[in-house]
Amino acid sequence: MSDKLASSEVLFQLTNQSLSYGNHRVLDDISLTIRRGEKVALLGPSGAGKSTLLNLLHQQQSQCSALQPQGGGLVDLLSVYQNIFIGGLDRVGTLAALWNLLRPLAAQRSAISELAQVLGLEDKLWQSVDRLSGGQRQRVAIGRALFRQQSVYLGDEPVSSLDPLQAQALLTHVLNQHETAVISLHNRQLALDNFDRIVVLQEGRLCCDCPPSALSAGQLDSYYQQDSSPVAEQSAPANEGWVIRTS
Amino acid sequence: MSILRRLQQLPLIAALLLSGLAQADTFVFTAIPDEDESRLQQRFGKVADYLSEQLGVEVRYIPVKSYAAAITAFRNDQVQLAWFGGLSGVQARGLVPGSEALAQGFEDQSFKTYFIANTSAGVEPADTLTDALKGKTFTFGSKGSTSGRLMPEFYLREQFDAAPEKIFSRVGFSGDHSRTIAQVQSGAYQIGAVNYSVWDSELQQGKVDQSKVQVIWTTPTYPDYQWSIRGDVDARYGAGFKEKVRAALLEMNDPALLESFPRQSFVPASNDDYAPIEATAKAIGLLDE
Amino acid sequence: MSALANLLQGLGSGGPDHKYSGNKPPVNQRDGAAGSSARRLTSVCLLMVAAALLALFGADLQVYSVDPWQELSRIGLGLVQPSWDDLPSLLQALAHTIAFALLAVALAAPLGLLLAMVFHWLPVRLLCAAVRSVHELFWGLIFMQLYGLSATTGLLAILVPFTGMFAKVFAEIFEQQQPEPVQTLPPAAGALKRYIYTLIPQSWPALISYSRYRFECALRSSAILGFIGLPTLGFHLETAFKQGHYSEAGALLWVFLLLIASIRWWLRPQLLPLYLLAAIWLLPETIGFSDGGSLWRFISVDILPTALRQGDGGELLDWLQMMFSEQVWPGLVQTLLLTQIAVVLSGVVVLVCYPFASRALAGPVMRWPGRFLLLVLRSTPEMVMAYVLLLLCGPSGLPVVLALGLHNGGLIAFLVANASDAEHKSPLARPDDPKGIKRYAYVETPRRFPAMLAFLFYRWEVILRESAIMGILGVVTLGFYIDSAFEEIRYDRAFLLIAVTALLNILVDTLSRRLRRFAHADSRLAKQSRNTSINCH
Repeated sequence: MSDKLASSEVLFQLTNQSLSYGNHRVLDDISLTIRRGEKVALLGPSGAGKSTLLNLLHQQQSQCSALQPQGGGLVDLLSVYQNIFIGGLDRVGTLAALWNLLRPLAAQRSAISELAQVLGLEDKLWQSVDRLSGGQRQRVAIGRALFRQQSVYLGDEPVSSLDPLQAQALLTHVLNQHETAVISLHNRQLALDNFDRIVVLQEGRLCCDCPPSALSAGQLDSYYQQDSSPVAEQSAPANEGWVIRTS
Repeated sequence: MSILRRLQQLPLIAALLLSGLAQADTFVFTAIPDEDESRLQQRFGKVADYLSEQLGVEVRYIPVKSYAAAITAFRNDQVQLAWFGGLSGVQARGLVPGSEALAQGFEDQSFKTYFIANTSAGVEPADTLTDALKGKTFTFGSKGSTSGRLMPEFYLREQFDAAPEKIFSRVGFSGDHSRTIAQVQSGAYQIGAVNYSVWDSELQQGKVDQSKVQVIWTTPTYPDYQWSIRGDVDARYGAGFKEKVRAALLEMNDPALLESFPRQSFVPASNDDYAPIEATAKAIGLLDE
Repeated sequence: MSALANLLQGLGSGGPDHKYSGNKPPVNQRDGAAGSSARRLTSVCLLMVAAALLALFGADLQVYSVDPWQELSRIGLGLVQPSWDDLPSLLQALAHTIAFALLAVALAAPLGLLLAMVFHWLPVRLLCAAVRSVHELFWGLIFMQLYGLSATTGLLAILVPFTGMFAKVFAEIFEQQQPEPVQTLPPAAGALKRYIYTLIPQSWPALISYSRYRFECALRSSAILGFIGLPTLGFHLETAFKQGHYSEAGALLWVFLLLIASIRWWLRPQLLPLYLLAAIWLLPETIGFSDGGSLWRFISVDILPTALRQGDGGELLDWLQMMFSEQVWPGLVQTLLLTQIAVVLSGVVVLVCYPFASRALAGPVMRWPGRFLLLVLRSTPEMVMAYVLLLLCGPSGLPVVLALGLHNGGLIAFLVANASDAEHKSPLARPDDPKGIKRYAYVETPRRFPAMLAFLFYRWEVILRESAIMGILGVVTLGFYIDSAFEEIRYDRAFLLIAVTALLNILVDTLSRRLRRFAHADSRLAKQSRNTSINCH
């Protein structure tokens, strides 16, 4: 971590944070400090608590951060334009917002058209999002977060449905547009290539927090080892079923 | 009532769809008074007790909502005796051969209808129905009522030689004499036709605001409410039963019983007394020739 | 109204710039439709609104200057100070109301389920369409001719149309299930096995939830049957209103409100057998019976025009012509016009009311007044509401339209608010969703809109049936003439008019299904609530 960063303002601060849903402990004794200017990748197997952690962080800075939750929270009936526009709703008055449903506001329209070009959605701008593919929907969600125009970006697997080239390009764009970013990812390589800090969660615990230079892809893999492979999970019951049927 | 009797209803679903369920020989009657339809069961329960005492059979009262329902019950032998209006009595006796009118209320020998008007309508009381009525809004009482529908429609047609819909800008059916008064008083309708005895009693009870609604014309008199009985009662309840019922009705002089109708007493009546009503109903097309 | 049209048009599509949309390359053509789902919904809405606007010209909506305040203040006073003097007869009416509803649904649901399994047979579909196209009140009037004022009449009047509705809705629920489980069955397994092993278990929650909803409807129907003389709450309610005993009416309305509001606390599956036994015990003592003679007389004599019985073709034609020009046509036109306006008004009421009852928009505490309002709107029988409004605006179609709009709007708003609450903590909700009016316009309403529209289309035929029966209040819809025919003991006329009403209903039902399919409101509704069922008939 560079000296310049070390001295900058603390944005997020968690100290010995734990969180449970019923008997299930989702976060276990997490201490984490994130300063302005940091680009943090959040890794770890499914169910490790990444989304919960992101939500906690969002609560600390809800005013100045752009959130992109898993699934994107799109509104199906609305067009791509309106779904992106929702990100900037706090910048227009209520009447203007209602009017915009009837007739898109000129200024917003040009801004969002530009954004749509970056996202590769320029020809879908007036389509309802329920008619888009998964990847297209994810790009709309990215658009909404970008249109929040904040300095902090919190993304929960924001590029998981995109092809590798698009994922890399849009991740770079998102990181360039925000001073600070905390992004959960499943793609190790994207994490190692684009971030200056890697945080790994495992079963709710923080088990690694270091710059990418200190890690290799192989080391990262080890954090996923305990996670039973999905292939094994699926095949076991299938075999049992077969045995039962023939016996 | 005993639980045992209730339990007999268990095979209801099957039984009711099948035929020939024997009816206990209870004598059943129904009545809709021309005013105050509340607590029918309690009020007419007393009349049932009186009749039971006089006739020596079990007597029950069934409350109904409309003349049509009363007629249906009479026709299907669900009730054997009914307190009908003039028109409904004619209709019911037409459907049940052998049935006859037994007795009518003292007041029913010369019944009449008031035409009432909201004072803002600008129709003044007169000896005839005047052209001032034309183009106003008008409400009858119930569709099957003699005093609220049949007779007023007859006199309207006679005076204007036209159907009510052609005389008035709007014709409604308030469904009930009290409602007619309330709706004309509130101005919902400008003119209305109402049973005179209901008007008189509401006036007495202070329910009528005479600065808002007044009588503008009174019809000539006609026969109205009557007790009608099915023709097969003698065969079922014993010879002379019909006459026993007539006597019991005519001798009913307890004001507590009579006020349910409300009539001061009952006097003998026959089917012929209602020939004018039948002719009127045919004249205005309420009964087929 | 036109503002609504604009709002609807604006929903999502935006595209006012024709050049822009014109240059658009062919978009995702998954089902050959235009790129915006909103556009189809919009065009359907516009069509409905335009039809309603046209209907405004033809409908009888005159306002009369009346002086209702004395009467209204008495009604208000009665509601605030209900009278409990006649508690025994009130409780008895309540017991009868529940008994009819419970038994009718307990019989109609299984019957409907059986019919739903063979719903692909055209005769079954036609039979179901025919029985449900006649309103419970008219069934009541018909059965009264056969079984008198009795338990039989009350039960059958609810049972018969409800069986038709159960069959149709259950069949639709089956249609909406995922096809995979059926596909994995051995092809030789018969239809019954297919239903028992896949479709029924798959759709069980939806079937149960619909049956519960239907029970609430049955309570309303049962209460309303009192209006024609059955010993339910409506019997006393009608008398109390007619006689101006508003504190008694108030007590009855409060009791009914509490009954509807408390269903979810007392309607428990494990208590059902007990309830059913109690219901049989509580039925009115008068058991209707027909010796077959009156049934035969009714079918072979009463409902046939005299001319037809006498084989006089010329006179029959005269009769038909008279009926058509004097009653059928005017009644039909008014019924359709009032229905159209009432449907659109219901939509407006939903859009205005549902946010006040939704957790996301009104907040966890402030939604309770909104919920109460919707409870009042959906529990107060339409007839009673129309009756009070009749005092307010005078005798015309206006009170009918307002009552139907408020009642049905309140009912759908309740369902829409429930759907909104169900999503409150789901993954679809985001912590940074906008708040207040912006949330209403950009998130909640667009998300609820397809379901709302589907509910409205379902409700269309119900509103049609209800505008027809409103004729009983004196507004010249088909029901007015039907009521007159029964009053005049002219069953041939009543039968013809009821048959016309039923045909009209079937037509509207078909049209509504076509429009629903066109707007894809259906599939989305199914998608959104595969397990919570379509609760709106």
